[in-house]
Amino acid sequence: MSVLDAATLSRISGVKLRARAVVEGVLSGLHKSPHQGQSVEFAEHKEYAPGDELRHLDWKAFGKFDRYYVKRFEHETNLRAVMVVDGSGSMAYGSGPLTKLDVARTLAGALSYLLVRQQDATGLTVFAGNQLRDVPPRANASHLNVVLDALDDLGAHGTTDLASAADHLAEKVPRRAFIAVFSDFFDDRADALKRLIALKARRHDLAVFHIVDPLELTFPFEDPTLFLSMEDDRRLEVHPAEIRESYLEEFNRFLADTKATCTAADVDYERVRTDEPLDAVLLRFLARRQGR
Amino acid sequence: MTFAQPLLLWGCLGALIPLLVHLFDRRRPRPHPFGAISFVLKSQKRTASRLRLRRLLLYTLRTLILLAVPIALARPELSKAGTVSAGLGPMATVIVLDDSLSMRWRDTSGLQAQTLFERAKAEARSAVRDLLPEEPATVLVCGAAPLPPAPLSFDRARMLQALDEAQATYEAADASRCLELAARALEDSLLLAKRIVLVSDFAATSLRTEAPLPTVAGPKGERIRPEVVLRDVASSLPELPNRALLDVKVEPAPQVDPKAFAFTFTARNFSAEAMKDVELQLKVDGRVVAKGFFDLPAHGTGQKALTHRFVGGPVAVVEGVLAPDALTEDDTRTVVLPVPRELTALVVNGAPSPQKFRDEAFFVEAALQATGSPVRAVVRDTDAAFREDFAQYDVVLLLNVEAPRTDVAARLKAYVESGHGLFISMGDRVDPDGWNASMGGVLPRRLKLFKTAVEPGASDVGARSARLSQVAAEHPVLAPFTGRAREGLMSARFSRYMLLEPGAEGGQVLGTLDDGAPALVARRLGRGQVLLFTSTVDRDWSDFSIRTSFLPLMQRVAAWLSGSLEEREELKVLVGETAVLPTQLPLTEVELLGPEGVELKLTKQPDGALAAGPLAAPGAYVAKSEGLVVPSLSFAVSVDAAESDLTRLKPEELKAFFGDDAVKAGGQSSESKAPIWTWLIVAAVIAFFLEGLLLPRR
Repeated sequence: MSVLDAATLSRISGVKLRARAVVEGVLSGLHKSPHQGQSVEFAEHKEYAPGDELRHLDWKAFGKFDRYYVKRFEHETNLRAVMVVDGSGSMAYGSGPLTKLDVARTLAGALSYLLVRQQDATGLTVFAGNQLRDVPPRANASHLNVVLDALDDLGAHGTTDLASAADHLAEKVPRRAFIAVFSDFFDDRADALKRLIALKARRHDLAVFHIVDPLELTFPFEDPTLFLSMEDDRRLEVHPAEIRESYLEEFNRFLADTKATCTAADVDYERVRTDEPLDAVLLRFLARRQGR
Repeated sequence: MTFAQPLLLWGCLGALIPLLVHLFDRRRPRPHPFGAISFVLKSQKRTASRLRLRRLLLYTLRTLILLAVPIALARPELSKAGTVSAGLGPMATVIVLDDSLSMRWRDTSGLQAQTLFERAKAEARSAVRDLLPEEPATVLVCGAAPLPPAPLSFDRARMLQALDEAQATYEAADASRCLELAARALEDSLLLAKRIVLVSDFAATSLRTEAPLPTVAGPKGERIRPEVVLRDVASSLPELPNRALLDVKVEPAPQVDPKAFAFTFTARNFSAEAMKDVELQLKVDGRVVAKGFFDLPAHGTGQKALTHRFVGGPVAVVEGVLAPDALTEDDTRTVVLPVPRELTALVVNGAPSPQKFRDEAFFVEAALQATGSPVRAVVRDTDAAFREDFAQYDVVLLLNVEAPRTDVAARLKAYVESGHGLFISMGDRVDPDGWNASMGGVLPRRLKLFKTAVEPGASDVGARSARLSQVAAEHPVLAPFTGRAREGLMSARFSRYMLLEPGAEGGQVLGTLDDGAPALVARRLGRGQVLLFTSTVDRDWSDFSIRTSFLPLMQRVAAWLSGSLEEREELKVLVGETAVLPTQLPLTEVELLGPEGVELKLTKQPDGALAAGPLAAPGAYVAKSEGLVVPSLSFAVSVDAAESDLTRLKPEELKAFFGDDAVKAGGQSSESKAPIWTWLIVAAVIAFFLEGLLLPRR
């Protein structure tokens, strides 16, 4: 049983610490950490060209051959990862200690942490409506702070626009990369998810973290309620009990369709409840990735 | 529609509660920012029409519940315009219970055999229980001669007791009279609304509906029909099949035996299905002595004759009993039959002759000894006869006898006064003075002198002879002589006859000759009878003895004088009638026992006859005097054959009589026909159940 439940995490302020706590939980849960025994190993020599890192010049080779060669290491062939976080208004919803955005930020931060630990480059893209913000992928440790700071500063506003995000990523991430999307996918536009999944065609490795709140899953409201949209001006007064059956039918169909679409496109799909331990979510995800 | 508790209708305002709640209960909904609002919107759009319909249904059902309850509590009742009760609140009520014969019909179709009357009593009790506390009521048991009911009251216990004590009768009910009495009882009530509840099987014979339905005073003093509620206890039965013995005809069967009788029973099938091999038993004093079988076509009649030879006497209770059906009371016909006893007659021959045809007693003896005659004649000459003990004989016939000595005359007088009969005929030996001297106290009239109309043997005897001109045809002795028999009697020729002194003794002249002289004079003396024939019973003074009417006349004379002729007069009495018993016996000496052995009260009529009744039950009624059965006063009572037809009144006939406003309810009903308020409660419960189904599930 993980101790990193939502209530505990909520008491930890800041994404940095939360992500670290999650990662520690993941690492302790793995027992044999996936990055143990890994090292930065030599891979090949490359003739120096302007712009190459001078620190990677192989002085021994220069002594032997009198030519400048630059060492290329194994890690330089490692994954470029982009954490894509939905910063739309609906992500601010949370019936428990953590909002969906909290969960998205923590998971993105924890995953970044793990990736940086194994020398992978990690970047961040936040989309909220048509506003997009990027932190380009880098592999150094200081870059992690940049990513985590960006996540920390993230606020929820605007609408969910998956298609714009997909277009943006296609443009900004030209090389093959691991793209992890953290969203509630509340985008009413047709084919929005498919546009995102289309990134798969550019040889990107795509993973989807579908974040849902328990109240969205059960719709347990009783009294007459004025529901307010968190992304626009829509509002609706209803007797929740009267429409509960119909709502659950609609919502479960949405969840099932989203999962089915992802699975059909060979996209990793992970549904995350905001009240479940996030280290367990990451472990589940990593275990499945290892099994692939 | 009327309401027993109209004030409770204010409760209907409660039906506005759902509307008021809808209008004023605008609770402020709790605002809730919600990420998945798109799905809420979709759900709401998808279910909007269904929700609207459900809300409307819920609102309707709740309104219905809140309406039904106060209306049910107000006890609505259906009534139509034109009846006195329309909208006038509590109703004065008379419950009329039909107790006619048809109500004894036993229904064996259900689990428990039950007479219609038992069912009707239950129905009437139900009607009493259905009364509102503020409704005065009374019970009228409707028979053939209904009595005014007790005044309207609120004493339900007394009404129920009256119903418990009610018994079905053996007669048709006089519904017109009952309804009239009920209407009169209702007139006494101050309540404007008036109602008659009629509990009956509505058999056509039990409800004689000749008179129009009586009216009562309306709210404005106008005459208006009361509301009539018909509770039909036979509504579940398509018809009331019945068969009955309608009649029995009793005739002597001398060809079998002088004491044998043939009983011809008439049975009728009142149902629409033929009946085969219906057993008929002939019972004498409760013992089955013969059996027969009827084949009765649908709505058809059959006859069956059974013969029996009687031994004992003086009366026999003879019953014809059909195999029992649903109405057993009309399956039995009873006859109280005086069993003819053998009469002994002392024939005193005043002028015996060795030549039989000249013998005074020859023709009389021949007549009395004829086949089938109940009389055994003993012929004696005067001296021998007067030495006899007269008490050994039922009747003494003095034929052309010289005037008896004084002591003999006294014995004869005592003999007659003790209840015996004396017949006196004239002849050459009769000396008027001597007879008047010794027998003056016995003779119906004193003798005067002979009159010779024509000398016997004269050539014109046929033309000049006297003939009977008038006879008392109503007298038992002469009653059978009608038609050709009367001609035989009137054609007798009398050449000589005794004239009589004008009557001071009160003798009854039964026949006179064409010159006005009495030919046959009767007189009651004590408990006996004396009959004087003013001519001869041989051929000396008349040819009457060779006339065909002589033989039956002499047999009837002997029978009448001995008192056995009266015994054969059958008294036919129907249930509900009063039996009038012609007798001279004092009231205190006669007791009349009914079918159950219960003594009935007799009353003396102005003419001296005794009256019993009205007689309520069919069966044998046996009269006794000083411990001995008196056959002449014993009789049987039968149900009226017309009452056995149990054809029920058709709805259109009921409608024609009671009008379109009659509310029909009942039968097992009734126990089954629920009042409106129960249906309202049922509707409210169903609405409540449906409301529960429609409520959103949590």
